[in-house]
Amino acid sequence: MITPLKALRKNRFKTSLIFLSMSVSIAAIFLISAISGGVVSMYSAMLKTDGDIIVTQKGIADTFFSDINRSLNDSILQIEGVKVSSAMILGAAPVDPLPIVGIYGVSENRFKSYPLKEGRYPKVGEVMLGSKIYETLKHPREVIISKKEFQVSGVFKSRIGFEDGGVVMNLSDGGELFHKSASIVLVSLEDLGQSDEIIGKINTLDAQIEAKTTESFIEQYNQFKIIQTSSDVIGAMAFLMGILGIVSMMSMVVSDRKAEFGIMRSIGLSSTAIILKLLGETLIIAIVAYVVALGVSFGVLELIEHADKFQGYINGEITSALMIQVFVISVVMALVGTFLPALYASRIDPVSLIQRGDV
Amino acid sequence: MTIEALGLEHFYGRDKVLNGVDVTIDAGSFTAIIGESGSGKTTLLSILSTLLQPSAGIVKYDGKIVSELGNIDRFRRHNIGFVFQFHYLISYLTLRENIALGAMEESRIETLLHSLGISKLSHRYSDEVSGGERQRAAIARALVNAPSVVFADEPTGSLDSKNALGVYELFRGFSCAGTGFVVASHDKKIADYADIIIEMEDGVVKDITK
Ligand SMILES: Nc1ncnc2c1ncn2[C@@H]1O[C@H](COP(=O)(O)OP(=O)(O)OP(=O)(O)O)[C@@H](O)[C@H]1O
Ligand SMILES: [Mg+2]
Repeated sequence: MITPLKALRKNRFKTSLIFLSMSVSIAAIFLISAISGGVVSMYSAMLKTDGDIIVTQKGIADTFFSDINRSLNDSILQIEGVKVSSAMILGAAPVDPLPIVGIYGVSENRFKSYPLKEGRYPKVGEVMLGSKIYETLKHPREVIISKKEFQVSGVFKSRIGFEDGGVVMNLSDGGELFHKSASIVLVSLEDLGQSDEIIGKINTLDAQIEAKTTESFIEQYNQFKIIQTSSDVIGAMAFLMGILGIVSMMSMVVSDRKAEFGIMRSIGLSSTAIILKLLGETLIIAIVAYVVALGVSFGVLELIEHADKFQGYINGEITSALMIQVFVISVVMALVGTFLPALYASRIDPVSLIQRGDV
Repeated sequence: MTIEALGLEHFYGRDKVLNGVDVTIDAGSFTAIIGESGSGKTTLLSILSTLLQPSAGIVKYDGKIVSELGNIDRFRRHNIGFVFQFHYLISYLTLRENIALGAMEESRIETLLHSLGISKLSHRYSDEVSGGERQRAAIARALVNAPSVVFADEPTGSLDSKNALGVYELFRGFSCAGTGFVVASHDKKIADYADIIIEMEDGVVKDITK
């Protein structure tokens, strides 16, 4: 263990460059995965609050475009086994002076899923604000949403960034604002075992709608797939950049240390021993870079989360599964990036030490 | 151990630099290869020491043909030591660690450090000792696995004459104890220490004297 550390210290300039390039790549992978994972999990959490089943307009790609009749909610409430059911309008509109804010028009029975911090739930013509936007707007008494004025009746606290940075109002007000009856209906059940049966019943209510378990809706939700795919692509690029960085730096390291590997070959150390030696060295760098990148990512996410500019909508999440996944990625990055230069090192012909003094 | 070379020829591209060399070296002796610059000393030494494959001809160790030995790394590790003109000590390791690097067992290290007169310096790094001391550490590294034969190409090439004679004396001492040395050099003084002198000229053996 001591020897690789000595070697790394001796070549500290290139060691630091490899370390930097790995840290940047690993942090990039962490951040992009955490942020996209955060968006997906925030939105999922929102839909899953009292929502075992979600009802949308049939064949719609995005909840924002979904348009269904809010009276559907009353019919669903009649179905046996349904615990709660609430209609919701999901929209986004300018809230003076913010250019775009999430607006949630909800039926009255859903208010209780927004824990009040101050004031009371809104009547028609009123809104309640998430605590984050309430702070950003500096405790307003009224707000102007799409040129329409609303009184602020209360403030709620939600751990879901989209809600905490958003505005909740009555379904009817939302309907006027976005010119629709409702976007979705969220249904929670007495017993999850009945979900197939109840979905069947809901689907017979109206030919224009589609009911699914929220779980499967999220799995198939196009927006999430787009976010996930872009994040995977960017992550893969960061991974490749990391590998390229290691390959090019390690090639230089190997050529600096030609004599060292030549002499090892001449005293009979096997090629495998030389490859393992170099892999060991980069593995050490990778582990340190991983730890540093993890720390940096936590720091950056913390900053983003509290940046007013993002209204709390960006809420990165580094789960332990992500940590393990990125750790494996880092190790693979180090091993793959080092392998070719190490292979070259292991094949340096000791005859070059004899014939050219200048290795 | 006996090293036998038969009909060695070697080309670098189209240049023929060895032109039919036959030599037999008793590995328990001190053999010097001398000759003008460009006469083929290094090439011959590289071939004899298994590092270089000749274009034609064969090298045998105790009757076994080198190119037919299975694992050449292993063979070298057990039988052959090298000393080069430059010490090639690894700069981030101490002299002792350099010597230990390829050692199959560490028991000989102390004795070697002692007999080469560098035991007090063994914890130093190569840039903290003199050129002669570095070369002695390199010799210790070559001897650590008790090889039958040590090959050295211009081992005194970067040393002053006093240190050079010291190195020849070391070789002589170790060869009396049974380790063979094959040393290429254009220093004529080596002749005073060697048992056998092979003189090269234009890629052929001009003379062998004992
Ligand atoms: N790698 C090589 N490629 C091409 N030609 C070479 C190579 N090595 C040596 N030669 C040529 O082969 C000939 C013999 O070289 P060699 O190194 O064996 O001579 P030498 O006797 O060791 O010389 P010196 O005393 O200068 O070290 C020389 O003409 C040299 O230019
Ligand atoms: Mg030479």
